[in-house]
Amino acid sequence: MNATIWSLSAIVAVAAVTFLLGYVGSRKANTTPDFLVARRAIPATRNAAAISGEYLSAASFLGVAGLVLKDGVDALWYPIGFTAGYLALLLFVAAPLRRSGAYTLPDFAEARLGSANVRHFSTFFVVCIGVLYLVPQLQSAGLTLTTITGLPPWFGGLIVTAIVVINVLGGGMRAITLVQAFQYWGKLFAIAAPTFVLFVVFLASPHRGTQPISDDGVIRFPQAETITVAEQVVKVRVDEPLTLKVHGQIDGRGADGPVFWGRGVYELSPGTRMEFTAGSPVPVVEGSPTTNHDWTRPQTGGISELLRTYSLIFATFLGTMGLPHVLVRFYTNPDGKAARRTALHVLYLLGLFYIFPTVLGVLSRLYLPQLLVNGKTDAAVLMLPETMVPNLGGQILGAIVAAGAFAAFLSTSSGLVVSVAGVVSTDIMPGKVRDFRWATVFTGLVAIGLALLLPRSDASLTVAMSFALAASTFCPLLVLGIWWRGLTWVGAVCGLVVGGGMVITAQVVSVVSSYTGRWAPAFITQPALITVPLAFMTMIVVSKATRRRAPADVNQILLRLHAPDPLGFIRDRDIARFGTAEEKARMADDQRRGAGRTR
Amino acid sequence: MSTVEHTPSESADAQKWVDVQASDDFAQLKHRLRKFVFPVSGLFLAWYLLYVLLADYAHGFMATKVVGNINVGLIFGLLQFVSTFVITTLYVRHANKNLDPLAEKLRGEIEGDGK
Repeated sequence: MNATIWSLSAIVAVAAVTFLLGYVGSRKANTTPDFLVARRAIPATRNAAAISGEYLSAASFLGVAGLVLKDGVDALWYPIGFTAGYLALLLFVAAPLRRSGAYTLPDFAEARLGSANVRHFSTFFVVCIGVLYLVPQLQSAGLTLTTITGLPPWFGGLIVTAIVVINVLGGGMRAITLVQAFQYWGKLFAIAAPTFVLFVVFLASPHRGTQPISDDGVIRFPQAETITVAEQVVKVRVDEPLTLKVHGQIDGRGADGPVFWGRGVYELSPGTRMEFTAGSPVPVVEGSPTTNHDWTRPQTGGISELLRTYSLIFATFLGTMGLPHVLVRFYTNPDGKAARRTALHVLYLLGLFYIFPTVLGVLSRLYLPQLLVNGKTDAAVLMLPETMVPNLGGQILGAIVAAGAFAAFLSTSSGLVVSVAGVVSTDIMPGKVRDFRWATVFTGLVAIGLALLLPRSDASLTVAMSFALAASTFCPLLVLGIWWRGLTWVGAVCGLVVGGGMVITAQVVSVVSSYTGRWAPAFITQPALITVPLAFMTMIVVSKATRRRAPADVNQILLRLHAPDPLGFIRDRDIARFGTAEEKARMADDQRRGAGRTR
Repeated sequence: MSTVEHTPSESADAQKWVDVQASDDFAQLKHRLRKFVFPVSGLFLAWYLLYVLLADYAHGFMATKVVGNINVGLIFGLLQFVSTFVITTLYVRHANKNLDPLAEKLRGEIEGDGK
């Protein structure tokens, strides 16, 4: 009970500080451009912290540790990919995109290809990626509150949605930049401090942990454990026979009392309760290594595992550049050079952060084997402090982690809501501040609706799917748009439809499969290896076939993208050419006010 | 929104753009940029994919002990991180040293006769 109070106060504090910063920032933000790109006057270091703060979502804060606990070294590809994606972004798109002067991805698509059609398709996929990325944030918020307080899972998601929407309504992006930068340092502290303390506890403990790792590498319960299966069907694999008490349903048949499990896979229905004795082997969710020996070795799954890892690498490397909430932040750099510097800082900040969840994931393997049975490994980071330090100290550490996790949901969700609402309000509604507000509410409602509707799975896996979607749609659009003059709007639209359509289909199939017994093969849950090359090929082939549709001034546009830094130059021409009436008015306004400031 | 209006001063500008486009400096800039970006990203991706492949099929090689418990696999794994940072730093340096001055010069040419 005490622990609950500590954690709840920490969460309330995070929410309060977020509000406060939002309020302070909002007093300076009044016009549409203010809302969308915060006047492009944010220094690179703060911008980098803000990008990292926004980027470190539930998948990073909870999901990485959870996957390390479950899958061991192979899970490290997630943090590596999440970080290295920034390198691809830096090399291929950061500076040219900043120079294009467009505010959003659809803006860029239209400016580069000179067609409103491609704009509509881009808008659609920005919304898809944004919402797909929001869903695991809100679901993880539910999981966090459930773990801490036992409240139903929908509650946490609803709270996060409400806070984010109200905050975005109040301040827009400038407020959010401040908030995000604060969030990065907050999150780093919230994960680093407990990691240091728990690692010392681990080193000081008499057996170096609570469980002896037996010679055969089988993982065992350190003490007797009762585990209840949550709302979804779980499949577990048993390698070492064991006896346990079960109340509920195994493989669709009722059980009530002692049961013997030989080697094999067992399907547990929701609500099934299992009682394990101390020292009994731990059944592990199907698909993850069952012994510590396999857990510490990379790539034990043969060719299909190899392809899955390749697919993940493709999705994360190439997907980062297509994430709307990341890109919109690059527009806030004053020039292309600053955009590069920002990307470099982001790499450092992310690399630093990911050390900590990895360590926590490894520690959880020793202390929280029960999570391997019900598959709720995302909760590992939240439960570890109190399990390892069962006193006031542990409760405080737990509260810090809970606050950090909440910061992660809040910051990522804010960034996503701002960028999705920005696109919706400028592209679907006429761009007035008021519409931006309606768009924010609309985005929040759609996201929370889907979060409640869809089954929860590991945050990192769901997030990886939005990376796959981004890699199969905007990555080819950006890379070809910036580096190949032959791209036409017809080719771009076809590529978007083929790449995006396939990933969305894969997502639907994997949701259906998770309700009906998890039959979908690996390439469905991680399709990037197939969809990204196909999207590229479609764009190239169709563009070649429709060569006449290339914009007449393609050379000029490419020159704008690659040539010299544009401060107050290309940017303004591009707005003069492609911008809305309001942007033009603002530009004139900026020139009057900021003539001396820029150089 | 996609309609493009050409005012007289804009078409004069357009001519200037075309001139710059045709200039040797711009060709040089594009060349330098491409010469760096594409080979480096190719190498980078190949290096990552190779690592996964080795981890999968060259267990013996990856398990070769170098010092104490530290084996080739671990060293290669850490090098993946290191290489990411090295490439990023190299690119930022390359851009600041070789690309920006040239870009600056071009910009001077475009803006030179009054804006």
